[in-house]
Amino acid sequence: MIKGHQINYQSQKISILKDVDIQVGYGEFLAIVGPNGAGKSSLLNVLANEIKTDKKQNIQFKDKILTDWDFGDLSKHKAKFSQHNAQDIPLLVKDVVMMGRYPYFSSQPHSDDFRSAEKAMAETDVIHFQNREYNSLSGGEKQRVHLSRVLAQLDNDVVHRLLFLDEPLNNLDIKHQYRTLELIKNFTQNDNTAIVVLHDLNLAARFADKILLMEKGQVLAHGSPEEVFTQETISKAYNFPCTICKHPVNDDTMILFG
Amino acid sequence: MKSKSLTFYAIIGIIILILMMVLSLNIGVYDFGKSNSYEVFWKFVTGDSTLSLSEKYIIWEVRTSRIIMTVLIGSMLAVSGTTLQGMFKNPLATGESIGLTSGATLLAAIAIVLGHTFESYLPEIVRNSLVGVSAFVGALLSMIIVYRISTSNGKTNVVMMLLSGVAITSIGFSITGFLIYISKDEQLRDLTFWNLGSLAAATWTKNIILSVVLLLSYLIILPKGKALNAMMLGEKDAEHLGINVETLKKQIVVITALMVGTCVAFSGTIGFVGLIVPYILRLLFRSDYHFILPLSAICGSILLLIADTLSRTIVAPSELPIGILTSLIGGPVFIAILIKFKNTLR
Repeated sequence: MIKGHQINYQSQKISILKDVDIQVGYGEFLAIVGPNGAGKSSLLNVLANEIKTDKKQNIQFKDKILTDWDFGDLSKHKAKFSQHNAQDIPLLVKDVVMMGRYPYFSSQPHSDDFRSAEKAMAETDVIHFQNREYNSLSGGEKQRVHLSRVLAQLDNDVVHRLLFLDEPLNNLDIKHQYRTLELIKNFTQNDNTAIVVLHDLNLAARFADKILLMEKGQVLAHGSPEEVFTQETISKAYNFPCTICKHPVNDDTMILFG
Repeated sequence: MKSKSLTFYAIIGIIILILMMVLSLNIGVYDFGKSNSYEVFWKFVTGDSTLSLSEKYIIWEVRTSRIIMTVLIGSMLAVSGTTLQGMFKNPLATGESIGLTSGATLLAAIAIVLGHTFESYLPEIVRNSLVGVSAFVGALLSMIIVYRISTSNGKTNVVMMLLSGVAITSIGFSITGFLIYISKDEQLRDLTFWNLGSLAAATWTKNIILSVVLLLSYLIILPKGKALNAMMLGEKDAEHLGINVETLKKQIVVITALMVGTCVAFSGTIGFVGLIVPYILRLLFRSDYHFILPLSAICGSILLLIADTLSRTIVAPSELPIGILTSLIGGPVFIAILIKFKNTLR
């Protein structure tokens, strides 16, 4: 799906990413985890073509160099949910979600655009306040509106779509955290790919197919949750003692800190 | 208020505009005697030979051409304001508040003074176009300076935006003041006209140039409503929606400078149209640029036509400079926006 080789990125002379190699396959749910300042968001931004460095990054999306893609085409193949969403948008919730359909219509939305937007709003549980002012919502609600917008954007017939999410669970309550991860999991079931920055290791272990553990701009471990989440690796990466055990009910890997 | 389609509101707006144009045709100082203005206009259109030369001149060269110019300039000023607000993501951005108008006025003033100095060498058409081109360059330069100062990494600092506008305006003011101080009588009249703004100097040649600029600009700018909406998400998220933000911003910078520059060159400083019109439209349609961008093209014309008709009736037979009227409405609107955004403007 997407391949990056020897990704380097510096900001104000501080090296943020050092020689990162990454390869994500079709239908994969990859969780990027790591302590603060490890370069998780930066890696996601580079992969999503947000950061424009002087040096051309060697990133291939569907076997074509990322920067060679046409803007319009790319928006139907991939979408990104950003960590910092705009706080001031003087529009109704449904108008913000409809922005996700902008790549598909030129002036007036078609009936399938309304259908996609409505489906996405139902999935993210925002449909009951679709007629409210976006600016009147709480942080978590705004978060779900943007999630809904991103899902609406990728509601199309393209095979192998790619979804980037940067800490999508911020500000969400438990129910919506699980609901969001289940949505992402469903999305990847049809050979689509999701690359998600997560902080909660237990949720990552439960939902993700692969884990990429980062520390100080480098990849510390990459593999299945069982391979990456070992007591030794995690304690080293987070510089904090931990214990690995099995979830008493569903047998998933569980990490207990302290 | 948004359940109906854009076409519906556009048609209503155009009907109101046409009614206003018809009404203002009949308002003016000249008395056509027994027949009213519409009969005279009809006689002119059908080529009736009983029409006297002065009546012909008044109805066609004075009233009709002035109404058309008002419609064209009002429309462009409002659209330039709305577009700038979309790019700077702030309802306070207009040609006046960020110094575009005074940049254009400054270079136009220089062109007038220089034009008079080299009068004997330059034909009139060159001198006229020189003023227009200078105004465009002035607006473009101010725009680039303000954008460079106030925006970094795609985020605009509102305070910086307004303050750099203040700085450019004060530079423009002092140099224009100096030019007025050193200029001779005829230049002085032209320069004063600039500072107050007036639509009295309308001609059909100017209207043709204005129409060409308007068509060219609107072909590029009016379909950008969706793109300006997406800009509210932030520039990076707009790019993820397939919008080429860099190209969009370059287009906006050049087109708004072109529109503001041309308007300043032909009618002087008519302030705050680009602030008042989007403010009113936002009250009805929120910030949905898909609606407010095309509608501001129509409402700008309506507003300026009302203001111009007022300016030539309230102190008849004399005429109030229209810039005074628009600023009189614009000032309080500016304050109203400031109060409304008090908490977010940090």
